[in-house]
Amino acid sequence: MRTPQTILIACAMAVLALASTSSAQITEYQEQQNLGVEAHVGRLTGHAKDAEINYRRYCAGCHGNQGDGEGENAMWLDPKPRNFTLAQFKCRSTPTGSLPTDADLYDTVGRGVQSSNMPSWNPLSDQQRVDLVAYVKHFSDRWKTDKPGEAIPIPPEPAVNAERIKSGQVLFQKLECWKCHGVEGRANGPSADTLTDDQNRPIKPFNFHDQTKFKCGTADSDLYRIFMTGLDGTPMPSFADNVKPDEAWDLVFYLRTLQPQHSKEKEIAEQLGLKPINPNAAVAPAEAPAPAPAPAQNNENKPQ
Amino acid sequence: MPSRNPNLVITIFCVLLIAAAAIISQRRVKAAPPSGGSITGSIKLEGTPPHQRPIDMSKEPACAAVHKASPVTAETVVAGADGGLKNVVIYISDGLTGSAATEVSPENPTWDQKGCQYIPHVMALNPNEQFKVINSDPTSHNIHPTPAPGGPNHEWNKSQPAGSPPITTSWQAPEVAIHVKCNIHPWMSGYMVVVKGPYGVSGDKGSFKIENVPPGSYTLTAWQESLGTQTQKITVAAGKPATANFTFKGK
Amino acid sequence: MVSARRSLTGLLLFVGFLLSFSNSANALPAFARKYGLRCSACHEAWPMLNYFGQKFKDNGYQLMNDRDSPVWQNPSYWPVTFRMTPSWHRESTDKITYDTPGGTPGLRRLTSSGFDYGGLDILSAGTLEKNISFQIIPASDELGAFHIEAVNARLDNVFNSPWLNFKMGKFELDNLVSEKRGLTLSANGGGYNIYHFVPVGDGNIFGQIGDNQVGMEWLGHSANDRTRLSVAILSSTDGNPDLPYGSNSYSAFFTGSHAFNVGKLGTDRVGFYAMVGQAPTTYLTDSSSGVPVLLPSSGLGNKGFSREGFVGLFYFGKLDFQVVTQHGSDSKWFGAGYGDLIDGIATGNNTPGTVLPAGARNPTWNGAFVETHWVQNPQLIFFQRSEWIRMSQQAIPGTAGNFGNIDNYVFGYRYYPFMNSRAGFAWHNEYGWLKGYGLAPDGSDLTSNSLMLGFDFDF
Repeated sequence: MRTPQTILIACAMAVLALASTSSAQITEYQEQQNLGVEAHVGRLTGHAKDAEINYRRYCAGCHGNQGDGEGENAMWLDPKPRNFTLAQFKCRSTPTGSLPTDADLYDTVGRGVQSSNMPSWNPLSDQQRVDLVAYVKHFSDRWKTDKPGEAIPIPPEPAVNAERIKSGQVLFQKLECWKCHGVEGRANGPSADTLTDDQNRPIKPFNFHDQTKFKCGTADSDLYRIFMTGLDGTPMPSFADNVKPDEAWDLVFYLRTLQPQHSKEKEIAEQLGLKPINPNAAVAPAEAPAPAPAPAQNNENKPQ
Repeated sequence: MPSRNPNLVITIFCVLLIAAAAIISQRRVKAAPPSGGSITGSIKLEGTPPHQRPIDMSKEPACAAVHKASPVTAETVVAGADGGLKNVVIYISDGLTGSAATEVSPENPTWDQKGCQYIPHVMALNPNEQFKVINSDPTSHNIHPTPAPGGPNHEWNKSQPAGSPPITTSWQAPEVAIHVKCNIHPWMSGYMVVVKGPYGVSGDKGSFKIENVPPGSYTLTAWQESLGTQTQKITVAAGKPATANFTFKGK
Repeated sequence: MVSARRSLTGLLLFVGFLLSFSNSANALPAFARKYGLRCSACHEAWPMLNYFGQKFKDNGYQLMNDRDSPVWQNPSYWPVTFRMTPSWHRESTDKITYDTPGGTPGLRRLTSSGFDYGGLDILSAGTLEKNISFQIIPASDELGAFHIEAVNARLDNVFNSPWLNFKMGKFELDNLVSEKRGLTLSANGGGYNIYHFVPVGDGNIFGQIGDNQVGMEWLGHSANDRTRLSVAILSSTDGNPDLPYGSNSYSAFFTGSHAFNVGKLGTDRVGFYAMVGQAPTTYLTDSSSGVPVLLPSSGLGNKGFSREGFVGLFYFGKLDFQVVTQHGSDSKWFGAGYGDLIDGIATGNNTPGTVLPAGARNPTWNGAFVETHWVQNPQLIFFQRSEWIRMSQQAIPGTAGNFGNIDNYVFGYRYYPFMNSRAGFAWHNEYGWLKGYGLAPDGSDLTSNSLMLGFDFDF
């Protein structure tokens, strides 16, 4: 009785051993060069080599085994998964054209990207996420040659008031946010339909009316950061050269009034009876006297 | 899209050999200061120029008003009546010594956004050469250069509302060519061509002049945004202008 | 005589309980197709969930991005998954009674092997709209007889709070270590004994943590799912429809757990569960037709029971341990055999005036299992589980102290030759060994074992 049973178990073990060796062959990963890359977020240090398996498990289906954004699902997704070999990222705290900080990537992994297929990976432990950040970095040599940009400073958020919201509205018109986002933030500006990303794929501007969350975070400071750093790879430029920190908060407050959810800003706008901007009315006076050189430079003399 | 064929590969191989020889020969004359040789020539377009799509700027009334008298078209191929091809960048793609290759011209070229067009449409630059981006329009532009992804130059994207101060910046590495666009005005298109060493850009009649070329044997490349590149070998003697003409075929 | 009868009942229970492990596991490539994630994103090794998958499930099959509503899908998308497990298996039991020419029953080992196939599960689940989820699992046995394994709808994130999720219908209890998502499939190693255990001869028709139950559940969890709490109110019908046992007995199932970071090792979780409830011990009969006929849905004389224990999920890099403990207690009325209703026959009926056997006490027991996984990589997982149940107090005085104890050991591996976002396929190999103390026909220990090699797939 024992013998056939033993043979069967031995047979099973043999199959098991075979399977494990063949699996080991399959999982052998070619790209070993940059696996020493580290990421640093707070007190945590991430190691690319520790994230190999988790990258395969969670990320490679979309971002591809080689990090090129060509995973088997990529063709079905819109927006497309990020190509890590290009080292270009939308959600940064750093100026346009520069590398994001490790913390920026870490935040994106934990937060997920709204309006895309990128979910929040916060069920993973902090360490696993930092390791994944290091792994994302290992796909591009740019991390060896370039340093991440300096995070733009964000002053403390001032108290919102009617004046600030009105000033924000003036900026919304002056900076021509409406050209893409529309006068009411409904993503229907005159240029909205022509936008393409850096791969010449059509891309839509953010619709403030429809959506409650921004791709790069939901807080006021995230909104501040988005237009001060720009979203690289998309048509969204950086306004850091033209908007002073104090004005930037005004714009944040105004943009909040465009969103559907209840907010203090929306309440104030309703009290004010704030009307959407009318750029056509503004074109006439703007054309007659040569364009006023940066009227909002002087924030104390606030424009009406 | 420049097509790759075996001939091109052989050419490149020869060019490399020649370049090696040139470098050796350059070493001999390196003691002498560059004696300011130059290359002149003209660029011709043979055949019919491709149709240039008219640009409708009605979505930007301020710019439409500027061009009311003379409607503008795309500028992918700009040829004069006599076939002179404008906006071609001619540069030394091979054979330069180290010192000439790192030369940076003293003036800061300006890239203007005017009437919702880029002026110039094509701008040549050296690596690390500072240039200014200005906005002469009463409207906002976003200046969005898109170098090849993953390369040494990096895409950036800045808003420049009317009346904003100039943006001064540079490119750190050679790249032929960097497309510049404005997402607010999708018809706006221009190129920055970053090359080492002296360069020329063909003017209205297709003629160009490259100054300050040290004597030597070079490979000269002419780049046109939609017709691709052409190369030819040229020898520049001290104090004597050399001539190089290029002909692009219309499609 | 009594003990012989009890032994027979024990054996029947034991075998029935082995057969009852239909593996209606929830691994849905329909979700992978919807969200473009690989199986491995949600499953440590499918069908077993990882934390990401657990959070997805807790959110009502939603990633909580704006693509959760079905309007984001191609209209032809239909969230349906089939799962089958064709296999070769070999089953062996060491003591089976059989008829001999002499007329005295013989006792011998019986071993058989061959190719086979399990039942068919049709799994469908997803969102009807943002924050309204559903699940329906019609499952068939090998012969094509379907039953409804699960059917429920759920309101998710009520008032935008992850703490408010309400589910109603037939569903799997909120077990942190899910038997439905278990990795083990063989007849002797497939199920978790403590999720189904009732002492031999015990008449409790319920107490089955592992079976899908009918009721309503509240589940709350923190935004990142680190902390989870749930309470389910269930009809004490063991998942059967039409209230077969009576209309007035309910049970409740509570769980709570918290996960915390352990650095490089991952995220560990510890929690508890408890089930308390009542089940009937008597059924009305009607003799107006001449013979006593049992009235369906007439269960009365509700008596109590409880199951409680700790759960731990411990990760050490590639190695992880799932530990579940249980302390169980049934009313002595169940222990004395009252309450059972098999195929409409009340084997013991606690009619008015019934007295308990002298000295009857509430049967109690303790059990635990430790399941270990070695995740070599997302495509290869080795597993083992060791499980023990020990009676601590028998209902009827004089019963052997270890009567009805269980030892169960199972080990094996699953190999997933490919990994994509469309389908799941595993090569499954497993050996399970089970020992029931005193359960053999002659009153000695009964052991049985299974060897299984199969293809487990779903699409």
